[in-house]
Amino acid sequence: MKLELGYVRVSDVCFGDSSSFRDGVLTLDTEALRSMLLENEKIADVRFEIAKPGERTRITPVKDVIQPRVKVEGPGGIFPGVIGKVDTVGSGKTYALEGMGVVTVGKIVGFQEGIIDMSGPGADYTPFSKLINLVLVITPAEGLPQHEYEQAVRLAGLKTAAWIGELAREAVPSRTVVYETPGIPEGLRRYPELPRVGYVLMLQSQGLLHDTYVYGVDAKKILPTLLSPTELMDGAVISGNCVSACDKNTTYHHLNNGVIEDLYAKHGTELNFVGVIITNETVYLADKQRSSDYTAKLCEFLGLDGAIISQEGFGNPDTDLIMNCRKLEAKGIKTVIITDEYAGRDGRSQSLADSDPAADACVTGGNANMPITLPPMDRVIGTLDYVTRIAGGSENSLQPDGSIVAELQVITGATNETGFNRLSAR
Amino acid sequence: MSKLRVVHYINQFYGGIGGEEKADLPAQLQPGAAGPGIALTAQFGEQAEIVATVICGDSYFNENIDAATAQILDWVREWKADVLIAGPAFNAGRYGVACGAVCAAVSEKLGIPTVTGMYLENPGAEMYCEKTYIIATRNSAAGMRDAVKKMAPLALRLARGEKIGASCEEGYLPRGERVNFFEKERGSKRAVDMLLKKLAGQPFETEYPMPSFDRVAPRPPVQDLKKAVIALVTSGGIVPKGNPDRIEASSASHFGEYSIAGLDTLSPDAWETAHGGYDPVYANDDPNRVLPVDALRRLEKAGAIGALHGLFYSTVGNGTAVASSRKFAREIAARLLDAGVGAVILTST
Amino acid sequence: MDGSAAAVLLAVRDLCHRGHRLLTHPLAGSVKPNETPYKSILLSDAAPGTDADSVQLIEKAIAVSDQFGPIRRNWRERELLDFQTVDASLLAAALESAGWNGNNTF
Repeated sequence: MKLELGYVRVSDVCFGDSSSFRDGVLTLDTEALRSMLLENEKIADVRFEIAKPGERTRITPVKDVIQPRVKVEGPGGIFPGVIGKVDTVGSGKTYALEGMGVVTVGKIVGFQEGIIDMSGPGADYTPFSKLINLVLVITPAEGLPQHEYEQAVRLAGLKTAAWIGELAREAVPSRTVVYETPGIPEGLRRYPELPRVGYVLMLQSQGLLHDTYVYGVDAKKILPTLLSPTELMDGAVISGNCVSACDKNTTYHHLNNGVIEDLYAKHGTELNFVGVIITNETVYLADKQRSSDYTAKLCEFLGLDGAIISQEGFGNPDTDLIMNCRKLEAKGIKTVIITDEYAGRDGRSQSLADSDPAADACVTGGNANMPITLPPMDRVIGTLDYVTRIAGGSENSLQPDGSIVAELQVITGATNETGFNRLSAR
Repeated sequence: MSKLRVVHYINQFYGGIGGEEKADLPAQLQPGAAGPGIALTAQFGEQAEIVATVICGDSYFNENIDAATAQILDWVREWKADVLIAGPAFNAGRYGVACGAVCAAVSEKLGIPTVTGMYLENPGAEMYCEKTYIIATRNSAAGMRDAVKKMAPLALRLARGEKIGASCEEGYLPRGERVNFFEKERGSKRAVDMLLKKLAGQPFETEYPMPSFDRVAPRPPVQDLKKAVIALVTSGGIVPKGNPDRIEASSASHFGEYSIAGLDTLSPDAWETAHGGYDPVYANDDPNRVLPVDALRRLEKAGAIGALHGLFYSTVGNGTAVASSRKFAREIAARLLDAGVGAVILTST
Repeated sequence: MDGSAAAVLLAVRDLCHRGHRLLTHPLAGSVKPNETPYKSILLSDAAPGTDADSVQLIEKAIAVSDQFGPIRRNWRERELLDFQTVDASLLAAALESAGWNGNNTF
């Protein structure tokens, strides 16, 4: 599959009487956007705010971050099976609006959501402080059950991102990158000498607030399978997960997956990037065994020499990570795993819930228990009401002066396990 | 801003007193810097000065740890040190242990930060890496310049109470705590680079070393229990009353071999526990609870097992080093194999 | 049962020693052990003997859980309901995998 990804630079976002994207400036008619989103009766109201890098603004509680994209040429549409039709994506031409994010905010449950600070010490730990964020604050219909609220918020964010993407259909990208993955026989023919490398992408799939969707299919229900890396660039994988803020993969992370980009950078020269194997992280032990056996079988089938395995979450998924690693290594496939750590506030506890000597090559996204103090901000988009209730916070998190004392866990994307950030630990 | 005050600990060799023949030199103090202290002083510039140097023989220290440490603590207090530096000891074992012990005591008892330098394999490194900061050095004094270059700035930062970075940033041996820091490249790129090295068989460094486990593959099951000779081995410390072999209550240095020939049970009159890690009341009341001689004799009489071996082996598991345990096990296993024992019941507490 | 998530883990451990087999992972869900008032774990009926894997898994889970320390806060009614909902959702996923259609017994 071959995808031309055009990165369209967004230099500013503002509200106006009509929506357009011109010369890098996105103007939004919020009334139009609002009526479109309120077509879903489950949403009672939605408010729009803009947060820019460097502002003393705090966004919380964050559900998801999405990058607007649009399919310019080729089959299918962005977020297939959810917004777009189910046609296979990943080929043709797609534009990505670089420099902005759509952030959904809404209290679905009284915990687990995250914080994005646009300035201050917290900003260093989230990639989203560097984006111009269009924030959607979503109020559910009265008495709406949580899982319906979650779905409504999820869809609202994706719809908005796709709607904004459409505005840029005629734009001119500032740079274009061509991502191409040959089919298996063609790849063997082209790169006989290069090591065959795959990317095992583990998806959170445990239940409400812990789910991921592939072409609209709940990842809990899938058997591990093969994707072309470019399919993720068109939104084939989207997030229904908000737990915990620091190591959940937002839809933005799926669209801009760092492992995929960095493997492509060496594809054809130092390695043959064969493809992406997605697998899940379930609660049922037999499912874990099935998925890890299946993943190892697929990797062997593909004739992989090596694989990078990334996970999502902590605790139970650590078991899947280690199972996958051990089984691949047992088949002679060399692995590197990417994880984060929960080594306690003093960094002295055991970082992972499971381990194995076979996991001798590990990249870490840092210790999520690290204490951090976030200074008070001038503006809060969303509500601070839940700060004492979010994972990584405590009764004493919210100080009288508005500063927050909590763990790195509370910051969206802080210890991301697809290697998105430069944060590490030793 | 006044200069930070440093006290420096070195051994008889680096103090210019003499070599191995002077290793019994008692601890002595002299004002100012000596030996590697001169190089450290150059690194400090205007920010700190070595106000006093403690010179102590390696043998003297290791044989008089309590007295020597107490004396050194007094001196450090007297000279109002802001930080104590020891060594660097490179790969010298007794010197490394001394440096580590001095640093640990000063940190713990006086609350004053300490820094030393050692080669990774120095026994003092494993013993003290968590109690002080040990800069990783080369394995000989050829690495002096590099060691001093890292020890000096770390000492200054510790003295000023500044935040200390991760082990790989500052150059110290990992001390059992994970510290976050920002790498130059993002994790995905680091993963790709690491995989390429691993695929090419080149050395690479994992960012998180898995906790090491000693996995032992289980032996196949006993073929015929009715014919097997079963022996009892315990780390629960069951010994004859009075503990004639003086097995230690913790960090056992040896094991005991005792006869239970002709005994149907262990009587509390003749047996007791030496283990210091659990409440001994129930074991002393009925030692069979820890070493089930009575149960095995019943099985023997009923013909369920071939025989209970007439000797049992006992040591104390409390705080005993893994290396010691391995040593005991090898010896015990050899004796059991010679005696034709087929299986062992190991009781631990 | 009444008690904290940590108490549930200990009860599960005892059941594993008595021959029940773990069907779900004791650390399911990314809500940390010291942050959730609810924890549901699925076990099989007791069988003769003891499943070593289950015992190992629950012991490991207890060790990990212990390092998170005691429960951290008091929740409001609404939040308790939220935690129940998420925990129930995880359990529902497991029950579905276990082939429970609401009528059968194990």
